[in-house]
Amino acid sequence: MTSSPFSSLDLWGLTVRTFSKRLTLLAALLLLAPQVQALNIFACEPEWAALAKELVPDADIYSATTAYQDPHMVQARPSLIAKLRRADMFICSGAELETGWLPALQMKANNSDVRDSQPGAFYAAEQVERLDVLENVSRLMGDVHASGNPHVHLDPHRIQTIAIALAKRLQQIDPENADNYQQRLTAFTTRWQAALAEWEQQTKPLQGQKVVAYHSSFRYLFDWLGITQIADLEPKPGLPPTSGHLTSVLKQLQEQPLLGIIYANYQDPKAAQWLGGKSDEPVIPLAYSVGADDTADLFMLYQRIIQQLLAAVERA
Amino acid sequence: MKLHAISRALTCTLIGAMAPTVLLAETGINPNISAVINVGYTDRSDFHGIGNLPIDGDHSAGPDDGFWLDHTELALSAAFDEMFYGKVTTVLEEHDGSTEVELEEAFVQTMAMPYGLSVRGGRFMSNLGYLNSKHTHTDNYVDRPLVYRAFVGSHYYDDGVRLNWIAPTETYIELGAEAFKGGQFPAAASSNIGATNVYAKFGDDFDESNSWQAGISWLRTDNDFGECSTHDHGDDHDDHDDHDDHDDHDDHDDHGFEFGACDFDGNKDFYVADFVWKWAPNGNYKYQSLTWQSEYFYVKEDGWYGEEHEGAFERELRQDDHNTGWYSSVVYRWSPNWSAGIRYSELKPSDTYSDGFKPKATDLMVDWNYSHFATVRLQYTRDESMEDMDDDIFSIQFVGSMGAHGAHLF
Repeated sequence: MTSSPFSSLDLWGLTVRTFSKRLTLLAALLLLAPQVQALNIFACEPEWAALAKELVPDADIYSATTAYQDPHMVQARPSLIAKLRRADMFICSGAELETGWLPALQMKANNSDVRDSQPGAFYAAEQVERLDVLENVSRLMGDVHASGNPHVHLDPHRIQTIAIALAKRLQQIDPENADNYQQRLTAFTTRWQAALAEWEQQTKPLQGQKVVAYHSSFRYLFDWLGITQIADLEPKPGLPPTSGHLTSVLKQLQEQPLLGIIYANYQDPKAAQWLGGKSDEPVIPLAYSVGADDTADLFMLYQRIIQQLLAAVERA
Repeated sequence: MKLHAISRALTCTLIGAMAPTVLLAETGINPNISAVINVGYTDRSDFHGIGNLPIDGDHSAGPDDGFWLDHTELALSAAFDEMFYGKVTTVLEEHDGSTEVELEEAFVQTMAMPYGLSVRGGRFMSNLGYLNSKHTHTDNYVDRPLVYRAFVGSHYYDDGVRLNWIAPTETYIELGAEAFKGGQFPAAASSNIGATNVYAKFGDDFDESNSWQAGISWLRTDNDFGECSTHDHGDDHDDHDDHDDHDDHDDHDDHGFEFGACDFDGNKDFYVADFVWKWAPNGNYKYQSLTWQSEYFYVKEDGWYGEEHEGAFERELRQDDHNTGWYSSVVYRWSPNWSAGIRYSELKPSDTYSDGFKPKATDLMVDWNYSHFATVRLQYTRDESMEDMDDDIFSIQFVGSMGAHGAHLF
């Protein structure tokens, strides 16, 4: 077989290939066109980045924190200013969770789209009813949030309400793609409600269980599952555990059996481990947000949490 | 004096307004009110200056000997509307038995300009270097580093306007320009615009655990005879007069005269470079973190020095005269309750002020926080800021903030 690169056949082939390449390029450009306009979303916490991904999978989504960082104690670092400068909207918990850093970012980023009161400022916890709303707040109570517990992402019913509010907000910000957001919301709701029904079946053995936990991070989870948190490793919200406080918690434990001593991935395990060692109660490092224990989305996060808690019931 | 009266009236108004609005503040509806108490006790020798540099007495001295009340502030901030945000900060300081009230900030800032632009106007702290724009109660030490105390009187704030721009880039880039009246040390201008500053800031994350910020700035101040007044008064001033009898004065006689902050007529250019690096495991700042910050100052003086000396008026030309200085600090937090730091600062004054002597100070500090609203700090300073007077300074300080939660800037 002889073939020359200059044969007419090859030249013809080359032309066809070039032509088809151009077509592909054109098609790619057309597909890319809406992506150039893709929304730029700044999420304060990974759970909100995950929720945004359900509704706007092709958006440019950035999470300011990971599941291994305490969302109260984040540095308003330069990279976050640059990210918020380019954002079309942010999704944060609100209810004062980010009060130590988000206002500083808003002030520094010079982006009028993400000022409070603009559609680009979306506070998830403020879309739902919050637990532990306080009428009077004093620092003597610790670092408490007057507007209630902001860790709302661990109640799947609240997640549903927030998803609906978020879809509505996305439609307001990006009306051209309003139908897309509605479709995405419907798809998410179908999957979420199916998963929710399954989870509520699975978690029946958890009802009435008692736990000790670190901070009020899992307040909504326990509320949903009917678990009672009988004590907190923190003497007061935001204050690190002290030996005196842990000793008094230990005394409390001797009177009642526990499902376990629970802390979140971003919390120091020492206090939980000390108490676990003294009381012989199991210590459970519970996945707190998306990204913990290699969870990739909200579904996996809930599955992981339920799996961890059910395993504790079986051990007991 | 007039300013003091106004500030005092304002403070009274603020205090009066506080009680009924506290609830509002907590629901985030209306003015955020915050008060910072900064008190302490220091054991040290009397302050006699930093090398032979022309300084602003009270602001450069560091904490007073004995019990002190320094930089206790009251701040009020809120959005006026969707376009404008404002903040007022009054500072109370006690020096030599008299309480001074200073209006440190009273500015308005735009919130809705396009293209990443923003304008701030009124009285505010210049974006010079890293520390200058920060409130001293957020510092990790009892006092500002020697280089800040010597060159800018701890911090330079003034009446003026700032335009800044944040670039729409992955890396944080901020460019800004400021114009000031030049009414505060180190400026003393008779013109309308007596100080200008241009700056650039950059920053990013190296990875999840490591972040950095770097900046460069150039501040130019006008200094005109007859426009200057310093905070050098009361006992402090007497100390300086007594100083004539000191042995070390003989050294200074070589230079003709001692330099006051107001004896200069000309321009000063401050070139400042700063770098900050922060580390926390997995970026979780709750339990453990490390902060390394350093700044370098190059201060060029072009103009005339002159003062009454032994009945005659002396005037000396200073051209391309320059002072340099730097500091570096490392602070390690190993638990939510504890952190410790070490800082070193050194100056190299020009030949005009020094025959080779370099003022320096080394600080060691330990912080204890029960919550993150209050800090108790112990600090030891080895102070070698005067040629023939080394001092061991011990301080205990309490800093606590009430009211609106101040955001943590990087």
